[in-house]
Amino acid sequence: MNDFVRTIPSAIELYEEGNLEGLNITELGQYLEEKTHIPFHIRGNLYKKCSKKKLEEVAKEIARIRVRDPGKRFVSSVPFQAEVDYEKRRIRDPNWKIFGILYEGVLYQKIVSGLIFKGGVVFKRCIIFFTNQLFGTWDRDDRRYHARVSLYGFPNLISVTGLVEAPAKPKEYYLKRQMGLPVEMLKEEYQDRFLDHGDLRMTEVLKGYAMQALFFHIFGDPFCEDPDCRLFNSHWQEEVLHAQMNGQFEFCQRHEVILKAIKDRSM
Amino acid sequence: MNEEKIKGGEREVKINNMAGKKQIFTPVSEKEITRAIVDGFARQFIEYVESDCLIVGGGPSGLMAGRDVALKGVKTLIVERNNYIGGGFWIGGYLMNKVTVREPGQKILEELGIPFERAVKGLYVADGPHACSKLIAAACDAGVKFANMTIFDDVVLRKGNRVCGVVVNWTPVQALPREITCVDPIALEAKFVVDSTGHDACVVKKLEERGILKTEGFGAMWVERSEDLVVEHTGEAHPGLIVTGMAVATTYGLPRMGPTFGAMLLSGRRGAQVVLEKLKKK
Repeated sequence: MNDFVRTIPSAIELYEEGNLEGLNITELGQYLEEKTHIPFHIRGNLYKKCSKKKLEEVAKEIARIRVRDPGKRFVSSVPFQAEVDYEKRRIRDPNWKIFGILYEGVLYQKIVSGLIFKGGVVFKRCIIFFTNQLFGTWDRDDRRYHARVSLYGFPNLISVTGLVEAPAKPKEYYLKRQMGLPVEMLKEEYQDRFLDHGDLRMTEVLKGYAMQALFFHIFGDPFCEDPDCRLFNSHWQEEVLHAQMNGQFEFCQRHEVILKAIKDRSM
Repeated sequence: MNEEKIKGGEREVKINNMAGKKQIFTPVSEKEITRAIVDGFARQFIEYVESDCLIVGGGPSGLMAGRDVALKGVKTLIVERNNYIGGGFWIGGYLMNKVTVREPGQKILEELGIPFERAVKGLYVADGPHACSKLIAAACDAGVKFANMTIFDDVVLRKGNRVCGVVVNWTPVQALPREITCVDPIALEAKFVVDSTGHDACVVKKLEERGILKTEGFGAMWVERSEDLVVEHTGEAHPGLIVTGMAVATTYGLPRMGPTFGAMLLSGRRGAQVVLEKLKKK
């Protein structure tokens, strides 16, 4: 792992989509720069430079990649005009908060990639795209789609909404919800054990995911097996909070060494 | 002896029975009652064989859509397969007769004069019978007419497969064997048809049967998210056909909603806006 697979990027570029409640993107960028000495640039809303015609094309493409049934492998279908109109309204409005549709993650990444890398993928910059929409990937083991927090690649996709919805909440939460207890009450009871939309801890937690994206960009391996390290691949909300906020250390010894090497090289 | 006198230009008859006591109700013969029913029904039916807005399904979203368009003077007919109007709005989840709405749905309850109370932050609860009867009354007061016990059978299509009406029949006909009742349906025409038939999405499904469009079926229940999505996807699904309420979830494969009604009311309102805009353009 000490040998870099790719060169260290000259910059980290942060893009966003929709209302990213709870994320302070400047603070996150500053954290990455402080840890790696790689400068960051906030590129803002992904769609802001798109022409009206391009937005319409993108809306159509996004409407096409809705996962209709998470239990079935995705098959592209012709979207309804109302679905295209919905996507058009959504991507045009930077304050859009509504979510709940699951998009095919890999195809979503392809659409975003087409908007960012106009002349082919560029490895010199590490691109991280934050969205407030949900995307999922197909799990070959249990043969169904699962919502994901992140999908690393070119570009890296991180879903702020997915961070709340994808990792499982404590088991007691689901049991009590099945018993008919209102979600609002349960949120109050278990607020320390999972993240909610607009949570004040969101930026802190997302710093770890952004770091995973950077590790993927440089080494092709974003994760660590140590549940105390920020690069741990968490599946439960409690694991997320532990790795990102309550772990014994920020990064395990091995990853601290690597971070130092990145920092020394990129100065 | 009956007493008869002229009062205010009208003949007023006070009837005494054999024992000399006054009867409460005016005597009317059976034939007059029958004539009144047939005449009243026929006049309305003939008038509404053609309407501006024909809503299939008299649940909360259909009633809300009907009420809002009729308030603007649009000739509106709601077709309902059951004897009763109101769909699932009489009861909440699990046959319990409390209905819940999430903010901002309570604004519509306020507007309709439906009493409600706050359950928790952002969630309000009202009595199902009170809420439903007020909504029905609001639709009636606005001028909506109803054809209940009338079941949707098919769509009327015109050039470019535009939906221009529906084919209907008496609801009881479907319950009888064909050998006994070979009752052909009849057609009603309208400038716009609204599918407010809930999860069944009967009108949309009929178009699907004909290979004109394809629905996705609704997904798993996700109350928190589905309400927004249902309202956001309310609109014209096919030329001439507007979809509201849970039929929207079925059409676009959105998550199921569960026992909250705010989206039904707001989706009905959005559907009405779409109808009004399109009627203006027509």
